[in-house]
Amino acid sequence: MKRTLGWSDRTILIAAGFFFITPFLAAGEYSLRGYGGKGHTFANYTWILHQLGFGPALLTSLRIAGVSVLLLLFLMIPTVVYVQLGGRRWARLIEILCLLPIVIPVVSLAIGAQVAMPKRLQSTSYELCFFYVIICMPYVYRTLNTGLQAIALPTLVEASSSLGATPVKTLVLVIIPAIRSATLGAAFITFAISMGEYALAVLLHFHTLPTWATNAAQENLYGSVAISIGSLFSVWFLLVLFSYLPAIKGALQNKKVKVT
Amino acid sequence: MDIHGSTVEFHGVTRKFGNVVALNDFSLKIKPGELVTLLGPSGCGKTTALRILAGIDKEHSGVVEIDGKDMSSIPANKRNIGMVFQAYSLFPNMTAQENVEYGLRVRGVDSVARSKRASELLELVGLASQSARRSTQLSGGQQQRVALARALAIEPSVLLLDEPLSALDAQVRSQLRDEIRRIQKTIGITTLFVTHDQEEAMAVSDRVGVMNKGNLDQIDSPSHLYNKPKTPFVAGFVGLTNVVPAVAQSKNEVLVLDQVLDISEHAPSLVKGEEVKALIRPEAISIEKAAKGAVVITKSFLGPMTRIGIDVGLHDLIYVELTSKEAKKIDTGDHVEVTISSDSVMVTHA
Amino acid sequence: MSQTSLQSTLSHQTAEGALPVAKRMFRLDKSFLGILPFLALIGYFFFYPLAVVFNESIHDSHHHLTASAYKALFGGDYRNAFIGSFELAAYSMAISAIIGALICWAVVKTQGHARKLIIAAAGVLTSTGGIPLAFSFIAAFGQEGLVTKILLNVFHWDIYGGAFDIYNFWGILLVYCFFQAPLMVIIFIPAVENLKVEWQEANETLGGSRIAYLRFVVIPVLAPAFISSCLLLFASGFSAYATAAAMSNGTIPLVPLLIGNLVNGEVLADQANQGDALAMGMILVCVLVFGLYALVMRVSRKK
Repeated sequence: MKRTLGWSDRTILIAAGFFFITPFLAAGEYSLRGYGGKGHTFANYTWILHQLGFGPALLTSLRIAGVSVLLLLFLMIPTVVYVQLGGRRWARLIEILCLLPIVIPVVSLAIGAQVAMPKRLQSTSYELCFFYVIICMPYVYRTLNTGLQAIALPTLVEASSSLGATPVKTLVLVIIPAIRSATLGAAFITFAISMGEYALAVLLHFHTLPTWATNAAQENLYGSVAISIGSLFSVWFLLVLFSYLPAIKGALQNKKVKVT
Repeated sequence: MDIHGSTVEFHGVTRKFGNVVALNDFSLKIKPGELVTLLGPSGCGKTTALRILAGIDKEHSGVVEIDGKDMSSIPANKRNIGMVFQAYSLFPNMTAQENVEYGLRVRGVDSVARSKRASELLELVGLASQSARRSTQLSGGQQQRVALARALAIEPSVLLLDEPLSALDAQVRSQLRDEIRRIQKTIGITTLFVTHDQEEAMAVSDRVGVMNKGNLDQIDSPSHLYNKPKTPFVAGFVGLTNVVPAVAQSKNEVLVLDQVLDISEHAPSLVKGEEVKALIRPEAISIEKAAKGAVVITKSFLGPMTRIGIDVGLHDLIYVELTSKEAKKIDTGDHVEVTISSDSVMVTHA
Repeated sequence: MSQTSLQSTLSHQTAEGALPVAKRMFRLDKSFLGILPFLALIGYFFFYPLAVVFNESIHDSHHHLTASAYKALFGGDYRNAFIGSFELAAYSMAISAIIGALICWAVVKTQGHARKLIIAAAGVLTSTGGIPLAFSFIAAFGQEGLVTKILLNVFHWDIYGGAFDIYNFWGILLVYCFFQAPLMVIIFIPAVENLKVEWQEANETLGGSRIAYLRFVVIPVLAPAFISSCLLLFASGFSAYATAAAMSNGTIPLVPLLIGNLVNGEVLADQANQGDALAMGMILVCVLVFGLYALVMRVSRKK
């Protein structure tokens, strides 16, 4: 009783694929152009590496993204687990609170952060991590919630504690492994958003990869297109890798079973 | 409600999904007003046959006729067939009443007439008071009643039931099962019912067809099917059967559990010394307490009957059914002597 | 903090049901503790800055209460910026909603890897928008871009012949659709996935045509989800900053860009709270849209 793909559906998908891929291919071509638009070369990509600001900006972005991921998982996994187990009455509140960061413009948040945050926090780029946690919360909440709903959480917790595990051991040894793919997904989306976020970074005057790229663009548009294409493609590559990871693992395990 | 019963015929219908033959040279004639059930495990082709008749599945060879008319060129929405699905088939944006009216609405029947007809049908299925509810506000059983009313509202020539009870609780299931049969008989509509539940099939059908891997193994009345199964698959699928190794003693005799049985009734044409399997119904076996021999291992109370599992030195236990009164005399651990009556024993070539 | 929340959770689990009323009352306080870290974080880093914005917006630089910054929103550049943002949000919403819905309609019929890949791609296009997307489009649709050249030389269509320029409103609209349409796919696809094959087949056996199915079943069933998805798209288009900032250098009248300019110091002393008022204006629009969204969801849930 499967749905079948008709000719109109194929047309839609092919057209959509075409429209969504073409600009990126065209941009890829552009990033390979030589100076004055003559010939094709990797010069724009090597140009990036020779820029003084690039290395530090990339490192800052990676550091901020990494800390954001850890902070968010550390906060949200226990919270979502808690809400599903004992705090059901808070589920609705948390759902609404988690929608707000999507709705409220980031720019408004930035303008408030400038005034409201203590100077000590504003002097370090780790300030961004806390706001990235807020921005990513909606997606992370939804991903983890779906992941937890798919497992028999109360039963697992009861089983684990009846076998003598402490709550922390239950969380670390049972729950987190059980929602591994949801956790990975949440981590990935946080990482991707944090690496690409621009509004907060520029308005709070931090030098991350996206703000550096816009500055560089004023000097060398080819170079900044190259950065864009490079970062888009590396994120896509990571995502494809992530989303196929379980499948690949599954396939390998199946093979093992067949061999033995 | 004057729905006339139509004749339905399948002539050599075959359906393949890639290399898998879902339905193999399937032929069947359903008489007007008859309720025929296709019974079998999942993937046996029963649902495929039903969907081909409905016109939802069109990729098949062979011919389907309703009242002698070839259906090949007629799309599903012109076949005038009422169908009840497994579950979730009610339109969620409509009330029960609107769901029942839907078929008439797309036929352009005016709102007064279709409202009257829908009310009659909701009455028939016992849901007149729930007509303003949406599917999410109805229980599973009520939803299936509405689906039945909706299917009947268009005065279909044939009614198709695709496992309509399988998503329901046991109690609701048997109640609705009997009600479907009552309504079907009242209206006299030709009905094709598909299920994997043999008890359900036996309870409601005029005839039951047992399907196995795309083939119709046997079609007969429920009692015939139970007492005279034509293949081991049918014997195994319809009711509980013991499968016991046996050795042919002559053309018509086998040695089973130290007993020689004459099974000429089944015309088995055996070769002496051949190793075969005997299929024995639990009620064909009687037991007597003894000092030694087979041992009673399990005893399960089933209400009026009690099922007893006996170790006769084979890999599997042999099951016997006694009335619970008789079974009181026997306990687990007792030794018993096993006797088989030959009239309902079947033999297959291993 | 993870420890305490989980511990209290588990103790509730085991004690559930057998507690006397007095203890249940006490438990209400304790169950609050489980979400306290979450509330603390969102309170300090989200609600507190917004409250500060509000407070600043109603005070002038001498700490006197004033509504002058709000009055200024109704005239001149600020008014134009709100109109510009509104138009950009509305156009990109309309186009993206239709494209996204069509893609959903086709995607639900695919299976396995194809489907997974399409949804993953949509997710990435949505969340990695911003700067890289802007530069990619400048490269592709700019005067010298490959897409522009192909359209001109192969299809004889000069996209720069009319009002279009990658650096003006229409250029930004084009780029917005490239992250809004995937966003539509992601938020609308659950609704389309919920359409049961049984409904289509029931329609067929009951004598309905394809058009009857669309008209009586598909459109009424999907309408609430479609409307609420549109509202989310509107809010997203209205408040997006990065793409517009990278593409226009702040020259197109859009509210987020104006706020950005004000924050970056291009501001007169007596307008110190103008950015705050603009931000509050944006929040107001978005909250109104969100309120409509909640209303639609509630009405559809009641059905």
